[in-house]
Amino acid sequence: MLRYFVRRMAFLVLTLLGATIVIFSMLHLAPGDPIDLIVGPNVIPEVRENIRHQYGLDRPLAVQYLSFMKSLLHGDLGNSIIQHKPVSELIVERFFVTLELSLTALVISFLISIPIGIKAALKRNTVTDYALMALSLIGISMPTFWFGLMLLYIVAFKLRLFPVSGYGTWRHLFLPALTIGITDAALLARMVRSSMLEVIRQDYIRTARSKGLPERVVINRHALRNALIPIITLLGLRIGWVVGGSVVVEIVFARPGLGRLMVDSILARDYPVVQGVMVVLTTCIILGNLVADILYAVVDPRIKLK
Amino acid sequence: MKELKGFSKVRLFVAYIMIALCVFLGILGMVFMESPSVAAERKVIVQAMDRDPDILDTIKAAWYSDALIYLHDRLISRDYDFRYRPGLATGWEVSEDGLIWIFHLRKGVTFHDGTPFTAKDVKWTIDTIKDPKTASPSAGDLKSIDEVKIIDDHTVQMVLKYPFPNLLFNLSNTALGIQKAGCYEEYGEYYGIKTVMGTGPFMFKKWVRGDRIVLVKNPDYNWGPEWMSNRGPALFDELVIRTIPEESSRIMELVTGGIHVLRDVPPLQADKLKENPDINIFIDQSTKLGYLAYACDKKPFDDVLVRRAINHAVDRETIVKYIFSGYATPAYGYLPPALKDEYLEESEELGYKYDPARAKALLAEAGFPNGFETTLSAENDSTSKRLAEVLQAQLAEVGIKAKIQLYDSASYVAMLKAGQQDLFVRLYSWPNADILDWFLLSAQFPYPNHSRWCDPKTDELINSAASAPTWEIRAERYKEVQRYLIEQAVWCPIYIPDKMLAVRKEVINFKNHPWMIQYSDGIDIVTK
Repeated sequence: MLRYFVRRMAFLVLTLLGATIVIFSMLHLAPGDPIDLIVGPNVIPEVRENIRHQYGLDRPLAVQYLSFMKSLLHGDLGNSIIQHKPVSELIVERFFVTLELSLTALVISFLISIPIGIKAALKRNTVTDYALMALSLIGISMPTFWFGLMLLYIVAFKLRLFPVSGYGTWRHLFLPALTIGITDAALLARMVRSSMLEVIRQDYIRTARSKGLPERVVINRHALRNALIPIITLLGLRIGWVVGGSVVVEIVFARPGLGRLMVDSILARDYPVVQGVMVVLTTCIILGNLVADILYAVVDPRIKLK
Repeated sequence: MKELKGFSKVRLFVAYIMIALCVFLGILGMVFMESPSVAAERKVIVQAMDRDPDILDTIKAAWYSDALIYLHDRLISRDYDFRYRPGLATGWEVSEDGLIWIFHLRKGVTFHDGTPFTAKDVKWTIDTIKDPKTASPSAGDLKSIDEVKIIDDHTVQMVLKYPFPNLLFNLSNTALGIQKAGCYEEYGEYYGIKTVMGTGPFMFKKWVRGDRIVLVKNPDYNWGPEWMSNRGPALFDELVIRTIPEESSRIMELVTGGIHVLRDVPPLQADKLKENPDINIFIDQSTKLGYLAYACDKKPFDDVLVRRAINHAVDRETIVKYIFSGYATPAYGYLPPALKDEYLEESEELGYKYDPARAKALLAEAGFPNGFETTLSAENDSTSKRLAEVLQAQLAEVGIKAKIQLYDSASYVAMLKAGQQDLFVRLYSWPNADILDWFLLSAQFPYPNHSRWCDPKTDELINSAASAPTWEIRAERYKEVQRYLIEQAVWCPIYIPDKMLAVRKEVINFKNHPWMIQYSDGIDIVTK
């Protein structure tokens, strides 16, 4: 187990390296200069060069990259060009906003998708199944942006049940979480259904039924637990993405989260912030994958980690 | 039996995860969620903006949050007719040669931390802005100032390098909010984020980045300018400026009462909002100008006939009607009429009216009887996009085939600096004639002089206006500049958007100000 863990950690480092190189190059190759956005165009060229030098943006790209990686090893993500503050501070400020939204959305999506998926699997090829899968298809096809605005319009605007936007109380959290939760649940429901279908066809289910157990017990005690194994690993995979959050929902509902920070920084060419957020995001996704794999091995005794 | 082990492990694991999640969320809830505010006694007005500032420091910011206008006072204030009146300076004298300005400072003014305001604060503010090490984006505004001298605690002398009557404008700008001398050392590197120190009618309480800025009224404020009906503290307790990036969300918040004041109402929503009994719409002339510009050093735009032809090809009335729902005015000149003194009244008479036949004739005369192909660049916000599409169609009518290219703001700037533009759409928002210096002096080539207009006569006219000895002579000279620019068809002016403000009915005594809302001048809110 330990060797496996160490190997996966090494893999994390390699992936981070690759990801940072790609992001770094793409950012710097895009047109646009953050210095313009800080000083404005009517500044003496000397001053502009001074500032460019202050931020180290006059060095060759390779040098800038190495310097970034070196600071990273010390836990220093650099300073934001536009906001004049350490990147790590900016990330921490927004981190919990995104986290609370993503976790709540995750919980909602599981709470919705699991019962629907199971019901559809048990009532396979009946009207119920078709209806539920049609619903799920609608959910998958709906753009999050549109769905969020529709929810806002009907529930917050017309019915005045919740505040329109903002951040603070649980009431501000509900609609954005529901938006992400429902759209995610749509996809998850299908996965739950297929996983459940596979399990039901197994011999041990037939054995359980032939033993005379009531259907309810067959499903809850035998089928469900095994069907949920792949779903749990899916949970592990999604945990990595929790930090990334949903930019679109953060914009529509005016939540000051990491997703918005990333997009605003990309548009402003605030290189250090974008790099910092990407490093955090990449790390979380990879760790999430790791958790998923370990979970899978723990939960399913047939799997051995190599 | 193996199975049993399997799923009891699963059960345990799932249970652990669920419990951990609940505990985690619970902790999050307790630590990070604010309790709903006890709204009852405090009077709070909420205004929405579409973006969050980078820093709340007038000296370092590239973009000024409205909050900075209420946190600081300026030496010179602007009244409801946009005239320059005393602010922190009760009066000023200018020497005969226009080079020495003496400002008499108001007594009895204190900063929010109780420190008295004196001449050293004025000197520190101006010196810090001009210091190249500070890298202040507003350093250029003060390049006419050579030196600031403290005569005594309430008298300051500014020595100019050349006569510059427009100093009144610069000193009344947000950028010149007077800051406390030494505030950077005193308040450390979090100045502008966790603290802001000013003399204004509102004090800084907190800034949740990306979400809101909270200001509270300054109870000691009693030095409002003479032209205000309420010169004392604001009548309400708190001003909150919320960041809501999505336009539809801002409108919905306004209608549901989540916010009270919305600046920049989108024209397409204006009619619907007007019908809403809970909302008052205030319409005024704006100091903005939308125009189509040319890269004047590239063929065929270096030919004045072509530039005039395009001016004739644009149907401004249609654009105003369909893109702005009537909430704009066609523009024929280079400054908006709201700039009362400097605006050339004959702009419309002298300008080029919609006349596609004339356009085609001019193009033929210039050697393009069948038109030509070119590119039309614009930013990718909804108004610019629509405008570009309509212009493309109108230009096609006279034979000019323009291909539209859209950019995000940063790439647009980069493109303009690199000089890749042919035809391009711009909008400026600036309440002073010196915007013409900014865009059209050859010294500004290639950026911000993205029209790439390097013309000695223009330079001569503009420089003469900018360094005129008095305000009146300056205004006259800028009118000459405008006449010449119209004659040369340097740009194709298109529209002046209306300035629209939406305010909920709970906000009373609201008066529209040509520059910024004056929250301390008697505005109040009735709480239910």
